[in-house]
Amino acid sequence: MSAAIAQRRSDLERAQARAAYLFVAPSFALYAVFVLAPVVVTFILSFSYYDPMAGSRWVGLDNFTRFFTDDRSLQIFWNTLRFTFFAVAGNVSVGLLLALALNRAMPAFLLYLFRLAFFLPVIIAAAFVSIVWGYFYGDDLGVINYYLIRLGFTPVHWLTSSHTAMMSIIIMDVWKNAGFFMVIFIAALQGVPKSLMEAAIMDGASYWRRFFRVVLPWISPVVFFAIVYASIGALQVFESIVILTRGGPGDSTRSMSLYIVEEAFDTFEIGYAASVAVVMTLVNLVITSLQLFASRIWVRY
Amino acid sequence: MQTRAAQRWVDRAILVTMAALGIVMLLPFAWLFSMSFRSVADAYKMPPSFLPPNLDFRNYRAVLDSSIPFLQIYMNSVEIAVIVTIGQLVTCTFAAFAFARLKFPGRESLFFVMLIGLMFPAQVTIIPIYLGFAQVGLLNRPIGLALMYLTSSFGVFLVRQFMLSQPKALEEAALMDGAGYFKIFYRISLPQLRPALSALGIITFTQTWNYYFQARVLLEPQESMTLPIAMDLLRGYLNSGNLALVMAAMSMAVLPVILIFLLAQKLVIEGVTMSGIKN
Repeated sequence: MSAAIAQRRSDLERAQARAAYLFVAPSFALYAVFVLAPVVVTFILSFSYYDPMAGSRWVGLDNFTRFFTDDRSLQIFWNTLRFTFFAVAGNVSVGLLLALALNRAMPAFLLYLFRLAFFLPVIIAAAFVSIVWGYFYGDDLGVINYYLIRLGFTPVHWLTSSHTAMMSIIIMDVWKNAGFFMVIFIAALQGVPKSLMEAAIMDGASYWRRFFRVVLPWISPVVFFAIVYASIGALQVFESIVILTRGGPGDSTRSMSLYIVEEAFDTFEIGYAASVAVVMTLVNLVITSLQLFASRIWVRY
Repeated sequence: MQTRAAQRWVDRAILVTMAALGIVMLLPFAWLFSMSFRSVADAYKMPPSFLPPNLDFRNYRAVLDSSIPFLQIYMNSVEIAVIVTIGQLVTCTFAAFAFARLKFPGRESLFFVMLIGLMFPAQVTIIPIYLGFAQVGLLNRPIGLALMYLTSSFGVFLVRQFMLSQPKALEEAALMDGAGYFKIFYRISLPQLRPALSALGIITFTQTWNYYFQARVLLEPQESMTLPIAMDLLRGYLNSGNLALVMAAMSMAVLPVILIFLLAQKLVIEGVTMSGIKN
């Protein structure tokens, strides 16, 4: 009797497992073909010289050595890190300031306007808004320089000077993405317990003291998350640079993504381009694990 | 009491400042729409205008009549975004159902392997995909780009999380009654998923509409392009004077996303932020 029940049970389990694999299959097969396999192939390619005609060959760490010794690629690497650092700092701090400013009672129509104003740039492709900003940043016919001149300032070579071009791209990036972090921080701020804030107010703590002693420690996990998320996005920066400066003037704004595309599909240095992509993944990993490490030490839950 | 009155003034001052800042944030969009209605001769006239001078759709007509196959490009974008959105809703919901509701050997490890995918940006997968597409004739075809995104780790994760937060008593009862798995999925689980699926659908549609890096590598001829890469092309061709035309094309290109945002503002914001909190 009990054997029959056990038999029936295991039949049911087997049937359920079979059904489960069928449900997972479409998703997993596509994932294996379009993510897993390409990642593995990219890693293999990064150790090889790819030549479909004469035959590819294994070159060990040559591609990586080239990346880390060549002046040009080092500048591109440095550009990417610099962009990442300033874009992350800008996005996270402006996002936090906006959230602090908006985290208060207000009429519904204002809330709608603020959401519209600060979130619309987030969901419109950088490819579109970069073209608009390209005209805003124009030297002679640019909207910004027009107003600068009207106000009596000297016009700025926003995109045509190697000193300012990167900064201009970062400013646009903050305009575009700060709203995203604002929304995340508003949600986090609303999670700060009221009792904690009231106690701090009772103690007569000033606004900024309350912020640094109570609010910031409370939301620090979210801040860490925001930093990692922003870094991963910023490391991949591509379209805003392609459209605003095409990597110039010189190489002053060229990022790793641009470099990968140029090396892989313009000069067909497939193996080398793959190694640049691998370096990018490793930087991703380093930032993510640094964050895990740092949050263990500093975050007070 | 005095501090409370002071506090109210601070609140008001901050809100007024933020309203001003909000308007500044919107200026690029105002300029873009206003410019799309300007005559080509007036395009560079200063001061810049942020309100449309009239509602003359001549520039829009001119974009459609230009030598660039704008309508074809628009339809490519629509095709890719629609196929990807429907595809992800189906594949992700299927997989999420298995991960959240069924027991099978290897469930945790398979799910973990799928989550790892969130770590790899398109830059790490694009080269092999390009080489593979060249082999099988999918290069320069919009359907190729759509195929790449028929599923997503994030989508599976999102729907699974949502399912786990729902009671599963109904599904278990149906199982006891010996109902088939597909029937349980379709009749019981699916109807509960509406909030998660509308969020996933909206995020996927806007994300796909905005893809640039992948499209630029995989779609080269004009007839195969999508809108984001075509904008650059249009500007390149017409940079010297037809600013108003580029902005007319751009207005048409951003319209679907703006409409979605105006109609479902809360859903979009929740969806996009959720997609951020995936890690």
